[in-house]
Amino acid sequence: MNVSRAMSKRWAQQCVFNRIVAFSTKPTQHAAAVSEPAAEQETVATPAAATAQPATTTPAPTTARKPIVPSNYRFIYPEFLPDPKVEWRNPIREKLERLDMLDRRRQIDLPEFYVGSIMAVTSSDPHAAGKTSRFVGICINRDRCGLRSRFVLRNVIDHQGMEVVYELYDPTIQKVEVLRLEKRLDDNLFYLRDALPEYSTFDENMEAEHLEEGAPVPVNDIKVVLRPRPWLERWERQNLLGVANIDQYIKDKHRKSAEKVQKPWEKFDMMKQYRSTIPEEEQKEVFAEVHTELHSMELQRKRNKRKRTFVKPKQLA
Amino acid sequence: MCMAKIWLYKINMIQNICFQLGRLRLGSCIVSSVQVREKGHLSRPRLRNPYWNLRKQRTNTEDLVTTENKQFINELACEKYGTPALSKSIQSQENKLIQTNDPEEEIRSWTEKTRRCGVIARKIGQYPLWLKNGKKVRTTLLQIADNHVIKYMPPEECGPNKNPSSEHKLNKYGCILVGAESTNPTMLTKEYCEIFRGAGVAPKKNIMRFMVSPQGAIAPGTPLNVAHFRVGEYVDVRGKTVDHGFQGVVKRHGFKGMPASHGVTKTHRRAGNIGGGGEKGRVWPGTKMPGHMGNRWRVLKGLRIWRTNAKYNVMWVQGSAVPGPTGGLVYIYDTLLPLRKLKEAPPFPTFYDEVDTTSEDCWYEQMHKFKDETIVYKSE
Repeated sequence: MNVSRAMSKRWAQQCVFNRIVAFSTKPTQHAAAVSEPAAEQETVATPAAATAQPATTTPAPTTARKPIVPSNYRFIYPEFLPDPKVEWRNPIREKLERLDMLDRRRQIDLPEFYVGSIMAVTSSDPHAAGKTSRFVGICINRDRCGLRSRFVLRNVIDHQGMEVVYELYDPTIQKVEVLRLEKRLDDNLFYLRDALPEYSTFDENMEAEHLEEGAPVPVNDIKVVLRPRPWLERWERQNLLGVANIDQYIKDKHRKSAEKVQKPWEKFDMMKQYRSTIPEEEQKEVFAEVHTELHSMELQRKRNKRKRTFVKPKQLA
Repeated sequence: MCMAKIWLYKINMIQNICFQLGRLRLGSCIVSSVQVREKGHLSRPRLRNPYWNLRKQRTNTEDLVTTENKQFINELACEKYGTPALSKSIQSQENKLIQTNDPEEEIRSWTEKTRRCGVIARKIGQYPLWLKNGKKVRTTLLQIADNHVIKYMPPEECGPNKNPSSEHKLNKYGCILVGAESTNPTMLTKEYCEIFRGAGVAPKKNIMRFMVSPQGAIAPGTPLNVAHFRVGEYVDVRGKTVDHGFQGVVKRHGFKGMPASHGVTKTHRRAGNIGGGGEKGRVWPGTKMPGHMGNRWRVLKGLRIWRTNAKYNVMWVQGSAVPGPTGGLVYIYDTLLPLRKLKEAPPFPTFYDEVDTTSEDCWYEQMHKFKDETIVYKSE
């Protein structure tokens, strides 16, 4: 009886684990919704399995162990996951690429950031006055994978919108700072190009904001106000969450055509999701390979941060 | 009387000759009645497949072999050729190789006119590298896929002499058969496996012949790896381009097509006009039209090797337009471009020493290694 109770406890743990590790590259609610029925099935299946298994002192299965790799690595280090397109994949190329990425990460601290975070990038520039240039802006997009991964920073400088595309592993980048770590409601913020300039204006001398360790990354649910038409893209068709006044500027014909191009069935298309993501098992393999390195780098970063806070004299005079 | 007889005889003879001539003309008439306008079919080169161009795959018949026997066969294969490599297209089955010694090795010397052996590789992907001046270089990764020399044929043996009448013009180059990617011999036909008998290597999935100067001959069984090439040198890469199938003119030749609206009907992606009238009132040869796109042999010439990795036998080669899909086979040669040809002696005929697989990558000196510090420009 005692043994069976212990086992049921373990199965419960397994179920919890299953619920946590529902892998997909996009942080959607679907993943959680999908994982829940699976967990239920498992709970249904467990009593049968319990009766089938002999109540002897069998060694604990390895699956019950807690995974070493944190489940949020796929959001912190999305570029370590290869392109899901099967035709372009090759295990040896991916491995070599990952080794190169780690080599670069040993030279430069590339912090965790998301679309919507405000960042400052210092890079070597042969044409700049002091041979370095610093650009502060909001990250409006992050794409590609491996050594090709890149992000776009946007700011408004002297009433002129500026965007700079940085490659994350470009060796001319000297320093990447995250001034405000936060997320937005959308996957990319290209609509800031058509928004009022104050939504993409950030002070160049902005101080880095401190976020408590272990705290979840805050989601900024600000609603951006768009300028009147003409726009660069048909925003009304993209189901944007972070825009306040799309309805103000669109007419009935726009609304109708937007309805026509909607594909509400796509969220149920499991094959589409499968093709556009890396399966959970492969993600585990990838991160198991690079986890120790990345973890030690994180520890180093934390240590450096603490040192900096102690050493820095704020007011001298 | 006598004279008359002689005359008669002469007349007879003349008649006879005339008759003969007539017959002859008659005969020649018969010959010329069969008109042969072209004689090209007589001297046209026939397609003669090389002897190694055999059927590879065995027909998969149900042999009713028990699993134990299957295991036994596999064991035999392992015993003969060594255990297969765990990961794909990595140098394998090294332990059982018959290393034939090459007595002439010392005599051989490399000159600029000698031609070396090439290798068979797989295109495994592409990613950027950076130079020390901060410039980005797009590179393609080519993995040399478990290559072994199978046979060398001297110039006399390889290929028929194209012009038998001119005997002084013998073939300049001999040829080396190279195989790539060892495989399970039980899946292959007997004839195909026979090719590998002399070399002492496991049967390979892919075979290619490379034309080499007689000095560049390599003994059968010699492995070819990435050390055959040196960083900074240039190579030509030959491959079969991606097969796109029958494509229209917009995709195949980059035509613009026609507008989506403004009265355009059914001609949005069509070519439009294909020629003028009058004297040129026909379709000129070479006009760009729809047709089959891709699946052709193409050579990309003069690509610099930026970096090599001895462990995985990978080389990083300039450019992202290497023909073929990712995972496709390509053939790598020393370049023939006059200004980028080899100037110093390369490993000749190939790199024979043991490769230190634990060593780090070999980079071109202008390349920025990822382990190096961030690039900083100094102000003058």
